[in-house]
Order: sequence, then C-alpha cells, then structure tokens
Amino acid sequence: MAYSEKVVEHYEHPRNVGSLDKNDPSVGTGLVGAPACGDVMKLQIKVSADGIIEDAKFKTFGCGSAIASSSLVTEWVKGKSLDEAATIKNTEIAQHLALPPVKIHCSVLAEDAIKAAVADYRAKHDTKAAE
Amino acid sequence: MTEAATPTTNAPATAAPLRCWSCGGPVASGAVFCATCRAVQPPGDADHFARLGLPRAFALDAAELDRRYFAAQRQLHPDRFATRSPRERAISQSQAVSLNDAYETLKAPLARACYLLKLEGVARTPDQDHTIDDPALLMDQMERREALGEAADGAAVQRIVAAADADARDALAAIARAFARDDLAAAARETTRLRYLEKLIEDARLARARVAPRQAAG
Repeated sequence: MAYSEKVVEHYEHPRNVGSLDKNDPSVGTGLVGAPACGDVMKLQIKVSADGIIEDAKFKTFGCGSAIASSSLVTEWVKGKSLDEAATIKNTEIAQHLALPPVKIHCSVLAEDAIKAAVADYRAKHDTKAAE
Repeated sequence: MTEAATPTTNAPATAAPLRCWSCGGPVASGAVFCATCRAVQPPGDADHFARLGLPRAFALDAAELDRRYFAAQRQLHPDRFATRSPRERAISQSQAVSLNDAYETLKAPLARACYLLKLEGVARTPDQDHTIDDPALLMDQMERREALGEAADGAAVQRIVAAADADARDALAAIARAFARDDLAAAARETTRLRYLEKLIEDARLARARVAPRQAAG
C-alpha cells in the first residue's frame, strides 16, 4: 500500500515529536492505543492562562499513518482554544492526509488522543465540573 | 440416535435438518461427508472448535488439535477428489479453506483468545479497530518502546525481548485462568496485554536486525 505524499512528509519530518512534563498543571496528556495494530499514541498540550494551546508534542509508536495523524494534530491545535481543539474530527485528518479506508482508524486514534489530552487538562483544573 | 435416523417433526430442532446436496439424505450438523452417499458437504457455519471436534474453551490440547487437523486435511486432499464432479471438487476446496482457517485461529493463543471472546459475545476484541485508554498498560508499553528505540546493541534488545517473553507467558496464563472462571472482562484485558507484548516482540526482532550488522562488522 502506498502512502500519500502528505503522510510520507509527516512520517519523514514529524512535527513536534517529544514530551512535555505531564505533572505540569498547564499540560494535558492524552495516552491512547489501538490494540488491533499494537499502536501507542501520546499527545500532550500546553495551555496558556487564557485557555489557548501554545505548544503540543506527540510520541507515537505505530505505522506511518498513525505517526502522520498525530503529527498533523499537534500542528493543527497550536493557537487553538480547548473547545476548538476538541472539535477536530478524524474525517478532517483522514481527508487532509488522504488516508486509505484501512488506515482511517489511525485518524480516529489521533482524534481520541487530542480529546483525551483536553479532558486531562480540564480534569486538572476543574475536578468538580466533570461530574 | 443414529446418523441414519429420520428427523421427526416433533424434535426440538432449532433449524431445519440438514440434507445432503447430492442424495438428499440427512446430514449431521458439522459432518464433512454424507453418511449415506459419502459426498463431501459444504462447510456450513460451524464455529472453529466444532469444526475440529474440540470443546469450546481456551484451554486446548495442541497435540490433539494437530491430530484432528491433519486427519481432516487428509480426507480433503485434492487427490481424493480428482475424479469427482467439479461441484464436489469446489465443495471440498471450501471445506479445506474453512478447516485451515479454523486450525490457524485455534493454533495461535492470541488469535484463539480473540476468537473465543467474539464467540462469547464480547463486542470489542483486541483484533478489532477501537481505541483503548488503559493508562497502566499504555504507559508500560510506551516505556518499553522507548527503551527499544534507544537500545544500542543486541544485548540491550535481548533484555527487552526476554522481559516481554516472560510477561507474554504470564498474560497467557492469566487469559487461561480468566476464561476458566468465565471472567470475560479479565480475559479481554489480558488478551489486549498479550497483543501489545507480541507486537513489541515482533518490533524487537526488527530492531535486532537493525543492530545486528553493526555487531557482525565488529
């Protein structure tokens, strides 16, 4: 199966690879996995006092599509509010990267990762509101 | 009840009795051949355990599985159907495909566990697309993957593989215990862990190939 140019571009030059301090109160961490592929994806956001995502990092162990999907999401979320970041849809990721049907689940994983990161950040700051 | 018994209408049948496509005689569910005319029967929808005449359980006698598989495979050998009609040849081939599928699924513990979870009605098995967020499992896997990425030589890779092998054996034993006590949630959790460990071992094999040439050159 041939990867699209955009997938190859993100795979060869992944953006924002790395880690943020998960214990930092301004950092939200999303850690998700896709057992069918044995993929693990960590996506972290650093949020400013006014609720804007100022940095994002990812670390993904998985196929090229999973790496490209998480790399793309870290690019997209920078400068966005938490609400905006949480509305990113896997279909937008899949469309942008021209993922074939068998790789759609990689974009789903990236969507779940950013949602988990936003939820983690909110849980740190608003422990009661989640109930 | 004998194979030749005529099905009675007041029998508590859940489905219409099977009939041989060739002679019209009764055929037992899961029978490969018609007891009357010996014509090969279509594979039907028997589950993999029933197809190999094994109890539906995770615990399995590997030698018995092999014996049953090879015996059935001999019966379906293409040479036996060389002089038969094209229809019989085609049916024997579809039987052979179903038989191989059943054998391969039951032979590999991970595939067997996933299959059994599916049979038991678990909606999301580890071989189907879905997202998990078990932090302990994922954190552990992330650390092992990072260690593998940083492994500089064969010995370092080997240490990671040895640990993963031991944990995979542990997961396998836990899966067997969970199925034995009908704890499907635990069986699914441990099967997911085994899936990740097997993936790690697979990737470690590739990593070994990456570090091996460097050693060979030294």
